[in-house]
Amino acid sequence: MTFYPLFFDIQDAWRNLFRRPLRSLLSGLGIGIGVAALIAMLSLTEGAKRAAFEKFSSLGLQTLRLEAIASQSEKGESTMNLSQGIIQEDAVQLAEWLGMRGKIGVFIKKEGVRISAGNKEVKATVLGVNAGWFAAEGLSTTRGRLLYEGDIAHQENYCVVGSALAANLQVEVLSTIRMENHVATVVGVAARKGRLLTEGTGLSSVDFDNIVIMPLTSMPFPRVVADRLLLDGLVVSLEQAHESSVQFLAEQIRQILLDSHRQVEDFHVVVPLTLLREAEDSQKVFSLIMGAIAALSLLVGGIGVMNIMLANIAEQTREIGLRMAVGASQARIISLYLCHSILLTMTGAIWGGVVGVLVALLIQQFAGLPVVFSSFSLLVAPSFAVITGIIFGLHPARRAATLEPALALRDS
Amino acid sequence: MVLLEADKVSRSFRIGDQSSLALSEHTLSVQAGEFLVLTGPSGSGKSTLLNVLSGLDRPSLGEVRYRGRSLADMTQQEIARLRNSSFGFIFQTPHLLPDRTVIENVELPFHYGCPRSFSEIRRRCLQLLEYVGMAPLTSRYPDTLSGGEMQRVVFARALACNPEVIFADEPTGSLDAENSCKILELLKKQTANNCSVIMATHDPGGIFYGTRVVRLEKLHANV
Repeated sequence: MTFYPLFFDIQDAWRNLFRRPLRSLLSGLGIGIGVAALIAMLSLTEGAKRAAFEKFSSLGLQTLRLEAIASQSEKGESTMNLSQGIIQEDAVQLAEWLGMRGKIGVFIKKEGVRISAGNKEVKATVLGVNAGWFAAEGLSTTRGRLLYEGDIAHQENYCVVGSALAANLQVEVLSTIRMENHVATVVGVAARKGRLLTEGTGLSSVDFDNIVIMPLTSMPFPRVVADRLLLDGLVVSLEQAHESSVQFLAEQIRQILLDSHRQVEDFHVVVPLTLLREAEDSQKVFSLIMGAIAALSLLVGGIGVMNIMLANIAEQTREIGLRMAVGASQARIISLYLCHSILLTMTGAIWGGVVGVLVALLIQQFAGLPVVFSSFSLLVAPSFAVITGIIFGLHPARRAATLEPALALRDS
Repeated sequence: MVLLEADKVSRSFRIGDQSSLALSEHTLSVQAGEFLVLTGPSGSGKSTLLNVLSGLDRPSLGEVRYRGRSLADMTQQEIARLRNSSFGFIFQTPHLLPDRTVIENVELPFHYGCPRSFSEIRRRCLQLLEYVGMAPLTSRYPDTLSGGEMQRVVFARALACNPEVIFADEPTGSLDAENSCKILELLKKQTANNCSVIMATHDPGGIFYGTRVVRLEKLHANV
């Protein structure tokens, strides 16, 4: 088997494109628009997918997050007399119920606290946590150590500071910092982790790099109601990451808390894995709509290519007769005109690809939407163009190949 | 040796509900090296007979045999191969690909036949163009050539694959006397190499080149 005939047909088809360059350019217009739409759509959906993944990954796909909210009765009156929100006893109860299935981290949060060291002062968030919180958040240190159970039990005035805060205050391990009227010793500097991306989740945000983390027991700003320490939230880190088990446990935890809070839902449970799935589902709808638009453009473009091919064949009837007279078989005529239609769609795909990338970059620039160009999206567009060329070129090519040579030669 | 035979071939065309007879029953045979001239008035079926004999068209009735094998028994692929390797064609209007140079037009049959090296194809085509007196114009495009020059290029292309039969349909129809004479001389030369020539012509001068003349009569048949 030799590829020479195919090479010759491609070369022949390529020359054919330049017989009527404007016609060739215009016939690829529909395909180009389709490919541009396809690339822009795939890049946008890939960007949105990655952004959603990064966002929910930052919350931890193996975690559940609970935060206290001020609950309201149906009449809008406060129900604080019924339940005080999340309290330490809730965390103890959940930890016992959870057993080996996961770990619970608890926290109290105070934002906008003036922190000073030496002559430097900044505002930052102070978190009071238990020892399990570090594991639940996956936080580690670059210098020094984390807070241990002993620090919590002995109400030590120790703290771990975020990397940015440590840099701003120029503090090191064993430095002393002041939080308004309270003093604590830095025992560790946390590794860079960034901010919890909580937009749209109902959770409050935390910047782990600009934070002071203290033992829950020595937290300078506790909220105590009726001798009970009120918590701002819980982070449950689960051993199993299977979606159904995560959702099941989330529902169980919600039910346990509702029971202990007299059916007052003064907290909300956020399951990042579920949020990720929901975001993916809504992106699927977007992808489907955009995909349909791109497919329609390719369809219209394909029909345009077919029309141009039929016009070309009508013009070249005598030439087809001549090729048959000198020995071109039906297969070679089909090959020639299929190559022609594929080249037409490919040229459309090339400039459509460039336009698609530019459109996606412009959307990123002006609309601020994330865009990711995957090799898949850059490969799928030319592939669709080739498929469109084959599908819509087949009928004209077959028509050319089935011409009677004697009649074709007589064509005027 | 009989190369080509037509056995009671006729050809009719259907136009709407009517069938028009273009070629009535004809039987003839062509020997190797024979120069057969088909003559007769317009509409007598000379071109139709050439098309049927060369496999460019199929007879409505009857059979065409090449070296004893019926064309009706051959596949489309086999007929295409036969046209490529054993037949050469010259038409009244010189059909050339407009976006190909003279030499590329002569090379065309090689691209549809058995693969050969580029240098071999080029050498053969240059020889042929030299033979027809077109060597200085190999890189010209058809629209820059005169009718006679174009017909000589077509002639070179017809000889490209060493055909056993050359079909010439009014090859001098669009040429002046001098160019007509050149083409007819070239055709005549081929018979010396045992190549058969079947030529349909109106040209009274062309008849004298033939070793045999078959006259077809005008048909008025509507079936």
